[in-house]
Amino acid sequence: MIAGFSTTSGRFDWTGFIFAILLAIVIAVPLLVVFTWAFTEVWRYPSVIPQKFGLRFWDQTLSRADVWEALSISLRLSATVTFLSALICLPAAYAFARMKFPGRDLFFLSFLASHAFPKFGLLVAIASIFLQLNLIATFWGVVLIQLVGTLMLMIWIPVAAFQAVDRRMEEAARDVGAGPLRVFWSITLPQAFPTIFAAVLLTFVSTFYETEGAWLIGAPQIRTMPVLMINFINNQVVIQYGAVLSVILWVPSFIALMFARRVIGTGAFAKGFGA
Amino acid sequence: MGRGLKGLLLIAIPVFLVGWLIIYPIFAAILSTLFFDGPEGLRFSTASYQFFISDPYSRANLALTLWTTGMCAVLLLIVGLPIALYLRFSTNRFADLVQSLAIFPMFVPSIILSYALIRTIGPNGTVDILLNAVGLPKIKSPYLTPWGPVIGLVWDHLPLTVLMLTAGLGSISNSAIEAARDVGAGPLRVFWHIILPRMGNSILVTVSFTILGIFSAFTLPYVLGPASPEMMGPFMLRTFNALYDPLNAKTQAVISFAFCLFFGIFYVWSIARNQKGQSR
Repeated sequence: MIAGFSTTSGRFDWTGFIFAILLAIVIAVPLLVVFTWAFTEVWRYPSVIPQKFGLRFWDQTLSRADVWEALSISLRLSATVTFLSALICLPAAYAFARMKFPGRDLFFLSFLASHAFPKFGLLVAIASIFLQLNLIATFWGVVLIQLVGTLMLMIWIPVAAFQAVDRRMEEAARDVGAGPLRVFWSITLPQAFPTIFAAVLLTFVSTFYETEGAWLIGAPQIRTMPVLMINFINNQVVIQYGAVLSVILWVPSFIALMFARRVIGTGAFAKGFGA
Repeated sequence: MGRGLKGLLLIAIPVFLVGWLIIYPIFAAILSTLFFDGPEGLRFSTASYQFFISDPYSRANLALTLWTTGMCAVLLLIVGLPIALYLRFSTNRFADLVQSLAIFPMFVPSIILSYALIRTIGPNGTVDILLNAVGLPKIKSPYLTPWGPVIGLVWDHLPLTVLMLTAGLGSISNSAIEAARDVGAGPLRVFWHIILPRMGNSILVTVSFTILGIFSAFTLPYVLGPASPEMMGPFMLRTFNALYDPLNAKTQAVISFAFCLFFGIFYVWSIARNQKGQSR
């Protein structure tokens, strides 16, 4: 009854139509421009359409050593941070969702601290601690600073997932004699898994694109993909390098995130930011 | 082993990280910019803050940051509130489409957005090309002016603004609005007298979150903004990385904390209140 393009009173939904058109223009045009540049060999002002399309710059970009090095560092960093974050945060999320212990509410809220201060100021404060610990320009220094940024997402979203699991099913399993581990493995985890998986995916992708901490702590030795892209943009090397990298980097993460989209719609995601 | 102890052990490492890498650095930054080791023990000095206040360049950077943050917050409300209102009261296919489009920027990393905006609104970019094609004069490009970061930051923060405002609107009951409509109130009066008073809190939370995110934004101001004056994010990075001056970088950080203190406290307070409301 409400699946069409009309309001409930039956008129064509002009408000929605106008919102959709305006948003589509503002959001899609910049991205379309990047896609076009990635497959362009010559595009001189003021031609509306590039003079020559082609894949020449894909070969050039992919034959650069610094691109492969940055990609390798970025992937190793994101994998390490995501793995460590899941390892320490998921058990904690389970404890917050299911156990009673002193200071539980206060500790839970303490993860908000990472969002309650202007982020770059916080990074500078952390960096000056790392300066004394000789962690500047090291792999593990960047891992630590990116790990802190993932804590809230990796705890708040899984807590919501564990809390959403049907307690009656767990109790029923226990009544027929299943042990606590068995209950967790066969009842709790399968139900919470999709949301937790989405949180892990979001953590990986957001770590991959994290720029500020990686630059502040990692420079100049640790150069991640986003930092390399900033260099390409600043030094105006070849316009197409940035475009090709954008397409290569963004498309896989976009497909991955589409799988997580379901979770974002449910409000668990907004909860991760405290909405 | 008691269940309480087990719970505390499970949360120990993340809580330790929050203490070591968030709470401790903040206090360390405040203390180490005010107290210094002297020949006759600890000495109190506000010299680095006095330098910040007396330095015209630092003051210009702070002013630019305040202007950008305020401008973004206002623009985000002007753009986000109508979208959120529309999403709250519509259920047709356009509403799904509008929601998907408004959330989409969340999936676009700021670095790719920066690049895309340079090619779109930069000199001889797509907007210029299209204007030229229909015979209109070029725009004065916002790239490398204070408006560049504003456009980028609004684009980037739109999804969370819309999501948070829509969540706030969700708590307003249909019956209150229908009751007002039944006694003949028009859409504007319904908005002003019924909706706005009930969502004042969620507007404040959204604005606080936006301000905390934008005040020390880095990537977009660094790539799209002017080189001088610069926003606090790029300013801090340059002071720390290029000038090797951690003391002044920390001073700039503490000043940023001070300006955002109210919004940070309000943000945490309102979420703590919501959490309590949910667990009861």
